[in-house]
Amino acid sequence: MPPTSSPNGNASPSRPVELSDLIEQERLPAGRDALLEPPVAHSQRERILGSMAKSCAEKGYGATTIADICTAAGVSRATFYELFKDKEDCFHAAMELSLADAMGTMVSVYSPDKPWATMVREGTAAFLGLLASRPTFARMAMIEAPASGERAFQLYASGKRVLQALLERGRDDPLEEEAIPSSAARAALSAAESLIVGQILTGNTTRLMELLPDIVYITTVPYLGQEEALRQAREAERELPADG
Amino acid sequence: MVARSQRERLLDAAVDVVAAKGYGATTVADLTKEAGVSRTTFYEHFKDKEACFLAAFDTAADVLARRIGAAFETEEAWPDRVRAGLAALLESLAGEPQIARLALVDIGSAGPQAQRRYRAALQRMTPFFDEGRDFAPGGRRLPANTSRMVVGAVTGLVSDEIEAGRADRLPEMLPEVLFASLVPYLGPAAAANAVGER
Repeated sequence: MPPTSSPNGNASPSRPVELSDLIEQERLPAGRDALLEPPVAHSQRERILGSMAKSCAEKGYGATTIADICTAAGVSRATFYELFKDKEDCFHAAMELSLADAMGTMVSVYSPDKPWATMVREGTAAFLGLLASRPTFARMAMIEAPASGERAFQLYASGKRVLQALLERGRDDPLEEEAIPSSAARAALSAAESLIVGQILTGNTTRLMELLPDIVYITTVPYLGQEEALRQAREAERELPADG
Repeated sequence: MVARSQRERLLDAAVDVVAAKGYGATTVADLTKEAGVSRTTFYEHFKDKEACFLAAFDTAADVLARRIGAAFETEEAWPDRVRAGLAALLESLAGEPQIARLALVDIGSAGPQAQRRYRAALQRMTPFFDEGRDFAPGGRRLPANTSRMVVGAVTGLVSDEIEAGRADRLPEMLPEVLFASLVPYLGPAAAANAVGER
């Protein structure tokens, strides 16, 4: 199992993929250091965004009112309108913040020198870890955002395209290139997304990490074949934090 | 010459109106107008807009599941069964683009209850793929969630196409949708072979 000798092990020189370029290309907010859902949200703006996410998680974006958000954040209506144009503007800002965190997480594990399969394992683990640690934002970003208007949908779609481009590096394997449809990475990503959304909807967000081996399998199997994908899934299982 | 029931007219109206203006913008008044029934009649059949929409979704999901199941049963070998089932799905959706939109796109924006209903409908598709575990050598070693993930891959590819306004071209996607369905069970080489046959 020497990853360095695998044809998937290295980025193809003809197709360099720089994560920061992808993020910029999609006009996504760059990663940031501060984490969401901190024990104490400092600014009024952060409190409002946190309340937006919380209310979305509890009753959905459609049923959330500005009054709900203001009450939960302990701010006045006037303060809300100083910071945001309307409910959608506020939601969009909360979504941007979540995406910045997601992209920051991906940047922190990404390296063009890592073998592709290792990157998939570590990237998926980091992404699941991020969602699991912030259940309200996970629900907002994965369930409410794709269904909450054009702007939020576009942000969500941009984030997905970045992940898809990273997955497509698996195609560098020359063996199967011809036979694999160009939509294979998009299909694998949809498979993973569906599993994650199902887990969030059943209220098991904090246990998302358990899905890691299955997601590693489905995202790598088109490119690595079954035996190697199963091996990667077992490797992912070993890397799971004990006692999940 | 039997007039469709008022309930059926309302379900059809939900399909047409939601396709035209989206779930969020649809009102009960739109539905009663389109169906040609009174507001009182509407509330005799449904609690609210959501209930009417969900009933329309359930009807569409039942029809699709029946068509997929019937096509699936026409073949013997599992990859052929999957091909037949997926072909039936893609052709059905292409033939009724408004229902395709409702069942695979708008359902996602109609709130938590709709989300749950959608997940339940997806769950009904997993047995078609679970058969692949017995068919494929070593299929028992595959991840427990394989069929759920395959359903996610299929609906993801299909809904992207519908969202892009290309529902009429769905049948052309059969090779890639079939590949996405078979690859976790057979591996890329055998999946590509199975797609290439016929």
